[in-house]
Amino acid sequence: MKRVLALVLALCLALSLAACGGGNSTSQPAGGSETGSSAAEAVLTEEITIKFANYALLEDGYTEFWEGVKSGFEAQYPNITIEWVTAPYGEITNQVINMAGGGDMVDMMFGELDWIPTLEDAGLTVPVTSVLTEEYLADFYPSVLESCKVGDEIYGLPMYISPFILYYNKDLFEQAGLDPNTPPTTYDEMLTMAESLSKLTTADGNPVYPFGQTTASVAVSGASLTGMVYNFGGTVLDENGQLATGNQGLKDAFTMLQTLDEKGYNPQNAKLKDLRQLFATGQLAMYYDQSWGFNGVSSINPDAASFTASAPALKGGSGDGASILQGQVLLYMDNGDLQREACRLLTEYMLTEEVLVDYITNITPAYPAKQSMADMELNPVLQGAAGSIDNLSSAPFVAAQADLNLELCTLAQAVTVSDTDVDTAIANFEKTASGMVG
Amino acid sequence: MSTSTAVRQPRLKLKKTTGDQLFSLALIAPTLLVTIVFIIVPVIDSVIKSFTEYKIKNIISGAPGEWNNFENYIKLFEGGKLWPAVIHTLLFVVGVVLAQFVLGMALAVILNSGLKGARFIRSVMMMPWVVPTIISALVWMWIFQPQYGLLKYAVSVITGGAVSDFAILNDPNTALLGVAVAALWKQVPLTTLLLLSGLQNVPDDMLEAATIDGASRAKKFFAIVIPYMKSVISIVVSMAIIENFKQFPLIWTMTGGGPSESTTTLAVLSYREAFVSNNLGSGAAVTTLWMLLMIVVVAVYRKLFQAEDMN
Repeated sequence: MKRVLALVLALCLALSLAACGGGNSTSQPAGGSETGSSAAEAVLTEEITIKFANYALLEDGYTEFWEGVKSGFEAQYPNITIEWVTAPYGEITNQVINMAGGGDMVDMMFGELDWIPTLEDAGLTVPVTSVLTEEYLADFYPSVLESCKVGDEIYGLPMYISPFILYYNKDLFEQAGLDPNTPPTTYDEMLTMAESLSKLTTADGNPVYPFGQTTASVAVSGASLTGMVYNFGGTVLDENGQLATGNQGLKDAFTMLQTLDEKGYNPQNAKLKDLRQLFATGQLAMYYDQSWGFNGVSSINPDAASFTASAPALKGGSGDGASILQGQVLLYMDNGDLQREACRLLTEYMLTEEVLVDYITNITPAYPAKQSMADMELNPVLQGAAGSIDNLSSAPFVAAQADLNLELCTLAQAVTVSDTDVDTAIANFEKTASGMVG
Repeated sequence: MSTSTAVRQPRLKLKKTTGDQLFSLALIAPTLLVTIVFIIVPVIDSVIKSFTEYKIKNIISGAPGEWNNFENYIKLFEGGKLWPAVIHTLLFVVGVVLAQFVLGMALAVILNSGLKGARFIRSVMMMPWVVPTIISALVWMWIFQPQYGLLKYAVSVITGGAVSDFAILNDPNTALLGVAVAALWKQVPLTTLLLLSGLQNVPDDMLEAATIDGASRAKKFFAIVIPYMKSVISIVVSMAIIENFKQFPLIWTMTGGGPSESTTTLAVLSYREAFVSNNLGSGAAVTTLWMLLMIVVVAVYRKLFQAEDMN
């Protein structure tokens, strides 16, 4: 009897394991065979579900906005349902890729601009022109759409945008005897001001860092460093997506980082969240961040708005202070005409002043991506850097963009914490990064 | 008498040994199935992919990878990242495993010495082990934070303000040490518990006999306790080697492999190749080399440390 019982248990285990591997995709069939105008008519009557991958649903403070989008859109189009596909920020791309690999492709995705090359290279995203009309896209800033291109096609549609802007602490400027309404416009001016700012300490005796540029090993730090290279008129990749390390702007940017480090002005190896913490607690006088980084600052110090102001990125060397675009974008996958048509309706519903105004003014401070929304109310702390939008450069993408960004962080760490000279560090960067492009 | 009992069908009767073998096979089938499906097949699949150009688009389209003439391996060996990663991995493994064993054994001996409150200490001591690795990493990052971290403050107070910029994770020479400290905090409790169970199985009569013969504490420890614990030590150290060889979340969360690649181990390199560069073939190549290195290290260790039966 014992043997029989053991055998039955073993059989149950084996069967349950087999059952684990036998799951079939329960995805719905791709959205119909309608094309062109027939899809435009059908989308108003047929029952449609848009699968929308969105990490923001899991983040505090953003859920209300997205649930509001869902309920508002579904009320306007009762035959269309939004089905959220969620995963944490760091996992959402893998989630979307794995689902697609299993035959269950989402229709839309909310993500970072830097995710575009990965998803395009994977063959997942389709050009936005296959979802939205040329007429609709004409309302977006051309430089913004240019920044979302891979090759000649636009693969992501920014919901809102921000270059890397300079946040500064007006109170600390005042304490250092500087004019709080006159932030620096060049790196040289910044170095002069930094001298005064570096003499300050906080009430509890901690030193005040004059300037913050993130260099820690995370991809967004690499994007920020790319922005700094553009400030100096340099570039990391040429227009063909090949490494372009021989330019003076790139060398000047990393020489400036080394100078800042030698003078002890820049917190070493800091992540953006470290800089936000320091800025919020009055230990950092100015730093580069995306506009929505202020959200992190004000969550640490609710009074931050009283001392925070913004300014465009600094001009360095022969550069004009150009920056690169950062934005949160909508990406589209191809599940047939009907699904694409539903995604078009959802996009056009979302990207209106009425829906976005509270979100990009108060929840995640940012600049609108559409020209028709240029006059909308901005978060007051962003006013100082409003002109930055007119000085954007398009940084080319490569499929291994995130790894290239990490390699830029290694370059920054080489000239700071490792005390490598700039030329050697750039040569090492070129050697390791050459395998990531082309 | 009914006909059914009169014409009884002959029953299929197996030899006892055959029946036992079939029964054993049936019992072991789930384990075999799990091992084959979840370990052997993925390992073989990964090794095959390491010789191919295999990217995310292959996952999406279902297209197999294309043979690329060892290009993944050639790029790795020529790229200048592999050897530093091997060295960082070995340094991390050797350093953490040695420290883990010494600390674990010391704590186990203390807890086995009849210390008052040993049971309570044993319970409390297990807390780091049950904390998820990511949380441990975040806690230690906060402690090590160079501008507002607890350690910086403590060092500043202890040195009377002479050292005010202590930043263990920012210096390429000390960053791996910082991660190792966090790894030890997390792993020492389990090691201690396992070694303690081994200590408690050392026969008292042997120790008493040695005491009567005038053996010193050190002599008893090295001549009786350690030999009796050899099998436990062997398992504990093997587990520690494997655990630290594959340590990824702690390092990735705390340093991302930096600064200046000083904490880029094979685990970090593999992740970067596969999921940051999105080159799954290259990631598989790192993983294959990593697996081979781990097999060699564990085999050498097992060869050097063969358990003997003390009975």
